[in-house]
Amino acid sequence: MAMSTTFLSGPAARLRASVVGIANGRRGRGAAGGAGIAWSGDLFVTSAHVVTGPHATIVTPDGCAVRGDVIRRDAERDIAMVRAPGASVPAVVTSDPSGLRSGSLIFAVGHPFGVRDAVSVGVLQAVSPLPRGYGLNGKGSLVWVQADVRLAPGNSGGPLADAQGRVIGVAAMVVSGVALAVPAPEVERLLSGLT
Amino acid sequence: MTDDRTTLAMLSEQLADAVATAGAALVAVHARPRLPSTGVHWKDGVVVTTEGTIRREDDIAVTLPDGRRIPATLAGRDRGTDLAVLRIASGSLPVATLGDPATLRPGHLVLALARLDEGGPRAAFGAVSATGGKWRCWKGGEIDSWLQSDLDIYPGFGGGPLVDATGRIHGVNSGGLSRTLATTIPVATVNRVMTQLLERGYVARGWIGAAMQPVRLDPATQQRVKREAGLLLLSVEPDAPASRAELLVGDTVVAIDGKDVDGFDQLLDVLGGDVVGKKLKLEVVRAGQPVSVDVVIGERPRRGR
Repeated sequence: MAMSTTFLSGPAARLRASVVGIANGRRGRGAAGGAGIAWSGDLFVTSAHVVTGPHATIVTPDGCAVRGDVIRRDAERDIAMVRAPGASVPAVVTSDPSGLRSGSLIFAVGHPFGVRDAVSVGVLQAVSPLPRGYGLNGKGSLVWVQADVRLAPGNSGGPLADAQGRVIGVAAMVVSGVALAVPAPEVERLLSGLT
Repeated sequence: MTDDRTTLAMLSEQLADAVATAGAALVAVHARPRLPSTGVHWKDGVVVTTEGTIRREDDIAVTLPDGRRIPATLAGRDRGTDLAVLRIASGSLPVATLGDPATLRPGHLVLALARLDEGGPRAAFGAVSATGGKWRCWKGGEIDSWLQSDLDIYPGFGGGPLVDATGRIHGVNSGGLSRTLATTIPVATVNRVMTQLLERGYVARGWIGAAMQPVRLDPATQQRVKREAGLLLLSVEPDAPASRAELLVGDTVVAIDGKDVDGFDQLLDVLGGDVVGKKLKLEVVRAGQPVSVDVVIGERPRRGR
């Protein structure tokens, strides 16, 4: 699944500048439990299972630890919003994955097993509920971005992006080997009312 | 930067085009509980999939790209090469555009495709890892060329095609032939096995009806017959080609049809070909002396039939 870095280096470098580490609580530093995305202004998006309490610590790409508050948490959709006014990180550009076809190149940025800002590349499989037979305790009927890309613990909350580096989803989990992400429009819907 | 974006976007579009092109000839095969497998509409009215995904021989259905579910009948299955063939009323379903696996080299970008439901085709992306000549898989069948890739064969991807960047289909992916890398049953093997399955529902393999063991010949015999090793007959089944040819326990077969034999591979190569009913000359060492024996090759009995 590896490919020439000259292709992906541009979009990947731009996206990596907007991906943060997220640790639980006020004093989390270094040991980021997952990834987060600078969504807009001082709002960061991550997975609900990465931030379990009311506070979180954002670790910016230049290594600064900034305190943040978990202002919204949707366990069903596995999305959480963290507000961290002290963090200065450029926001991502988002895109609707339903405009992409199966086989389109996508890439993920996260911190798999603690490796900071690691890039993995693959292709889109589908943007739909899971196929029958891929079990997910009833959550299979939700619409997921499904991709052939390697994710690991530490990718949670990080972005899946299209070939131009636009964020199409928030990495949530791996089911039957398939990477699942919450579609960007779904995140926008959960964000509505917050600015 | 702009060049990067353009090049990458073009590659992305090309891959998605390849998925759409090849995906138009794919069906979901419902022949097992829970999860369907994938089938390739190989030629008009004929769908190829992997044998291991066929868990029932009746009540098989396929889902077409337009979402319709239609019945399919099992034309035949071959465990040895992990291939099964179904017949369907194909209507306007496009037939697969086949490529030549010999043109694939390690490093070429490839896709594994699947169709699991009414949705579009699904894809996994990677590169050809290794290629090579013909080989015998652990299930016993002869595969015409070695073709492995680093693709993930996700649940339901078995039976789906290996596709190049232009959308041509180079074979059928099997999840059951190797644990480490995805293995593709190449076009030549699919064509060969499909033809036999359509003709008679199974692949006929040659049979002699004798149990054998590879042995080294003693030095004196080696000098006499100019060969070092052979296959020693341990038992001969009654009413079998070997017994009809009056082969004896203790005979050592050193050549078949002019080809030296010192292990099972060469024997299986001969018996795997189109040899049923043909008379082959066996060179045998009997009591230290070379003897020629003609054997009319039979058809290997099939289990459970």
